[in-house]
Amino acid sequence: MNLYLVNILLALTWGLMSGSFSLVNLIFGFVLGMGALYLIREQVGSLGYFQRAWRVLSLAWLFIWELVLSAWKVAVMVMSPNMNLKPGIFAYPLRVDRDFEITLLANLITLTPGTLSVDVSEDRSTLYVHAIDCSDPDSTRADIAEGFERKIMEAFR
Amino acid sequence: MIEILSNYLTGALLIIGSAFAVVAAIGINRLPDVYSRMHAASKAGTLGSGVMLIALAIYAQDTGTTLRALAGVVFFLLTAPISSHLLAKAAYAVGYPMWKGTVLDEMPPDSRIGADD
Amino acid sequence: MRPDELFLAASELIALALLSAAFLLTVYRVVRGPTLPDRILGLDMLVAAAIGFIAVIGIRTGYTLYVDIAIALGLVGFLATVAFARFVLARGKTEGVLPPGREREVRDRT
Repeated sequence: MNLYLVNILLALTWGLMSGSFSLVNLIFGFVLGMGALYLIREQVGSLGYFQRAWRVLSLAWLFIWELVLSAWKVAVMVMSPNMNLKPGIFAYPLRVDRDFEITLLANLITLTPGTLSVDVSEDRSTLYVHAIDCSDPDSTRADIAEGFERKIMEAFR
Repeated sequence: MIEILSNYLTGALLIIGSAFAVVAAIGINRLPDVYSRMHAASKAGTLGSGVMLIALAIYAQDTGTTLRALAGVVFFLLTAPISSHLLAKAAYAVGYPMWKGTVLDEMPPDSRIGADD
Repeated sequence: MRPDELFLAASELIALALLSAAFLLTVYRVVRGPTLPDRILGLDMLVAAAIGFIAVIGIRTGYTLYVDIAIALGLVGFLATVAFARFVLARGKTEGVLPPGREREVRDRT
């Protein structure tokens, strides 16, 4: 997190030096600062920073991809002449336990194919998820555990 | 050159976004119960308006506008799940029934208000 | 007119037509119900369609200040949905409820 601030500082310095605070220039400065930090990664211990940044990026990419996929699936299902629906609510045992991570996971689940988080239990151990195709809840559970939950744990642990 | 490209991209994104909006609207008319309809509104609806704002961001080619449009997209992506989650929870808690074809309901029995009296 | 400008103008019109269809379909769901959460969901969807409209109008007129309106509308729509959901929680289910004294009958039947 500290290195992140250093990187922003480097980007601002670049903006100051080149005399322009336009978005493109600041992003360029940020990339330059990242390159500089990458060069001295052994000295300042920024190796973890790049791994973490990469994981956050891959989480964001997974999220956008799943959102597009899920909207597409909803579209196909809605437009098909006879909808073969098997909706239902299943319980999902949470492995993440921090409030922030639970919120993120619940939001990600809502925006992914056919699932919508409805409620979380009082002791924060179970998430209740509405699935539009609930014929095989076990494989849906496995998908969430192997996809988003694992990525969240990688990115924020 | 960039302007030509951005024009084509903007047009394509506009059509894609509005197509998703239509699909979401058809979805909330065809799906059987309020919980299933939420799937259509929260996914296709959000993606629809998000894609159209991205089209505006690409078209504007001006840092302030682009940034604000992208901030708006992020904002919608963050709030859409929260509002549909809260609505689903409220609807379930006060006892709006699920569709009769529902195959599974693992919600704890005490989560409906007044279920125990 | 260059072909790319023509394409943009045409897709603006297509987008407006599609959005109008989405808007009307959503209005149909809002009017028909049958329950209060369905209507709230429809209103939420109307806000999304309106944001789409604002984006298209912003592109059509080149007046990009519309972005701020879209963001403000999104914020208001979100808060309205949250407030409606709290209202549903506070009010409880009223559809199909008979006058006081006969509620138990209905609950037993459903």
